[in-house]
Amino acid sequence: MSDSQQTQTQNRTRTETTGNDQPLETTSGETVEEARAEWTEYDFRGNAKMVAEDLDVYYGDDHALKGVSMEIPEESVTALIGPSGCGKSTYLRCLNRMNDRISAARVDGSVQFDGKEIYQDGINLVELRKRVGMVFQSPNPFPKSIRDNISYGPRKHGDIDTGLLARLLGRDDSDAERKLVERALKQAALWDEVHDRLDDNALGLSGGQQQRLCIARCLSVDPEVILMDEPASALDPIATAKIEDLIDDLSEEYTVVIVTHNMQQAARISDQTAVFLTGGELVEYDETDKIFENPESQRVEDYITGKFG
Amino acid sequence: MAGATRSRLIEGETTTTDAVAGVTVGLSAILFALAVGALFEWVSLTGTVAGLPTVTLLGGLLIGLGVAVSLFGLGSWLGYVETDPDASAGLIAGFGAAVPWFVIGGGVVSQTLGLGTGAGVIGGLLVGGVAFAGTAVPREDVGSTVPLGALLAFVGAVFITGTIGPEWIWNLDWEQQASVTAEFLVPVATLFCALYGGWAAAKAYGRFGARGRHMGAYVLVYLNALSIVAFLFILIVFVVVKGLPGLLTGVEVGPGVGPQVFGLFELPVSVPLVMNGVALLNDFQGVLPAIVGTVWLVVGAVLFAVPLGVGAAVFLTEYAERGRFTQAVEVATNGLWSTPSIVFGLFGFAFLIPRFGNQKSLLAGMLTLGFMLLPLVLITSREAMLSVPDEYRDASAALGVSKWQTIRSVVLPAALPGVMTGVILGVGRIAGETAPILLTMAGGTFVPGGQTVNVIGGFEFTGTPPFVANPELLQATSALPYQLYALITAGVGLGSNVADPDGFRWATALVLLVVVLSFYAIGIGARYYFRQRLRHE
Repeated sequence: MSDSQQTQTQNRTRTETTGNDQPLETTSGETVEEARAEWTEYDFRGNAKMVAEDLDVYYGDDHALKGVSMEIPEESVTALIGPSGCGKSTYLRCLNRMNDRISAARVDGSVQFDGKEIYQDGINLVELRKRVGMVFQSPNPFPKSIRDNISYGPRKHGDIDTGLLARLLGRDDSDAERKLVERALKQAALWDEVHDRLDDNALGLSGGQQQRLCIARCLSVDPEVILMDEPASALDPIATAKIEDLIDDLSEEYTVVIVTHNMQQAARISDQTAVFLTGGELVEYDETDKIFENPESQRVEDYITGKFG
Repeated sequence: MAGATRSRLIEGETTTTDAVAGVTVGLSAILFALAVGALFEWVSLTGTVAGLPTVTLLGGLLIGLGVAVSLFGLGSWLGYVETDPDASAGLIAGFGAAVPWFVIGGGVVSQTLGLGTGAGVIGGLLVGGVAFAGTAVPREDVGSTVPLGALLAFVGAVFITGTIGPEWIWNLDWEQQASVTAEFLVPVATLFCALYGGWAAAKAYGRFGARGRHMGAYVLVYLNALSIVAFLFILIVFVVVKGLPGLLTGVEVGPGVGPQVFGLFELPVSVPLVMNGVALLNDFQGVLPAIVGTVWLVVGAVLFAVPLGVGAAVFLTEYAERGRFTQAVEVATNGLWSTPSIVFGLFGFAFLIPRFGNQKSLLAGMLTLGFMLLPLVLITSREAMLSVPDEYRDASAALGVSKWQTIRSVVLPAALPGVMTGVILGVGRIAGETAPILLTMAGGTFVPGGQTVNVIGGFEFTGTPPFVANPELLQATSALPYQLYALITAGVGLGSNVADPDGFRWATALVLLVVVLSFYAIGIGARYYFRQRLRHE
């Protein structure tokens, strides 16, 4: 017991001290070490891109995520499923530190990205969020033109400059911008639909097109991981199918983590699935086929077959 | 569902009853217009309209409207007219009918019968109670027409019999010698009766029931909206008509008649009122220094208040944690916005003037008005930024864009139309302020054209810090609201300077109105432009 505590404290850098009441055991009763040992037995096809260790999140007094440890393999689709309020979105937002933006949220534990701890002082949040991008539940393009939506990120990072001064000095990046916009829109399978109206306002697109634009916007800054928070829940079945095809294509190049309420969707598109159940626990994490055909836990089976939640 | 009737699903052709009800609605609209006309003395009460004495005509129309409305209600009750009335007209309609009847009952008992105030109140309560019961107790078709119809007929009878004629006057035995005259009472009574009559007639036109109440509410709401637009229109037309002769005095059109512009060419139009100052030998006097003073005043106040206000709003919405501090700032800004302008003026007088050369100056006026503008810009900018969806901020943060860049590139552009609204409202207020100007920057009433402030040309460089000076900013100058105030109320004589003093005053008022409306137009145009950029880029 004391041994494992030591190991953990060494591994983990706490960004916010919360006292030493950190639960050593996961709520399912096994120690974190045991749980991790179990999960690492699962044979990942590639290296782990992101590793969360014993992650706890509190919103004020509410303990929203309880001791979650989980490895996300590279260039694959990982689905997070579970009932509402089970902490899956909270977990997702920990992976690029978007929870920092909620002042009541407190994160405790460790997340490593490419082996580097992201919950440590001095981490470059700009760089982290460039490399770990995010797509939100409801499409949220900026009230700008389609072109400006895509070039917004690179422009703000100084990668592209088409401003007046740059034009006067002959350092105009219009060509680079054009290529970038075309590449991002093609990757998001939106190019054919909008290539002749790039200067139109993005708010004039349909919901499904807006969501693919948001994916293209996310791709514009060359991320390595794409976090998607129920990206298709506000869309009709046809738009959903397009987004699913897109995710399938993206997984060849990117690491995709997707939160979804729709179990069929998880089964269709993901390589491995994590099931969160009420109370913020990660109950089971395995290959998708295994989860849906032969889950270890009775609670997961009940949830998947619709007996609960 | 006892007593419930099925209403017709499809209305047929226009029937005679529809036509009658429609005519009564039209009649009440005519009465409304006549009453408004009489109130503004466009229709003379002592004169005649269409060959009839005005008061007699009003009385006759009121009786006709009242009888028609009552007959419609009774006809519906007796089954001659097909309607779908409810069981009762309701409590609100009851109170609506009780109030005028209370006034009439009280007036008749206490004044006409001379029984004193106590008896008047009792009589009023009795009559009002009967009207309330008569409205609320019977079925809707009778309740919402007969008491109001009787009211109209009663008032009409009072007018037509000459009980209240055009010369009628009622002296109140107050120390202030107040009296109610026919010139006031007749139009106001007619106005209210027309509203009541129109309401009842519209209910009848909609055949009572839910649809009838809907029609009744429509008539009231439309008349209300119409009056607001009409009053605005009347006000502007009034000022324009009064001011135009003064403005056009001495206008010349032709090559080379106007003043030089930037020393380059001469304007082909000469409008002395807006292009001249006041001078002894001028053929026509003008208010140019005051116009320029007002424009600079507003420009200076906006340049001072908008960056400060928007900056404070950015801090409060985007950076400060919501808590005691932001609440305190909110209370303080709301309080500042409600502070009377003369208090701002005193602040400028006691605090700013001693610091700017101890004399009234344009700069002190600008800053005082800027302080007045600040709270509104802060409040509206804050509201505008709070209404920018958090999704934009999340999306920007998820791309790794820093907070300040997000504010500059996403939040502020989305909030700009709202900020513009605040500036428009604020400029509308400060451009017409008189009190602070009086205390902080007012110069003479008659300012020679040569003393027109030249802020841009006034900048000069000096050898000592702060290396730039502008004596023009530190001079007293005039502004249109102050000039108008001085011309009209302070009794500053126009003497032989101006041939037509009244025309000169009205023309000044018109110029002030035009200047303020121009600022409005610029603001609304800018807001439209920013909105377009957000929506249809």
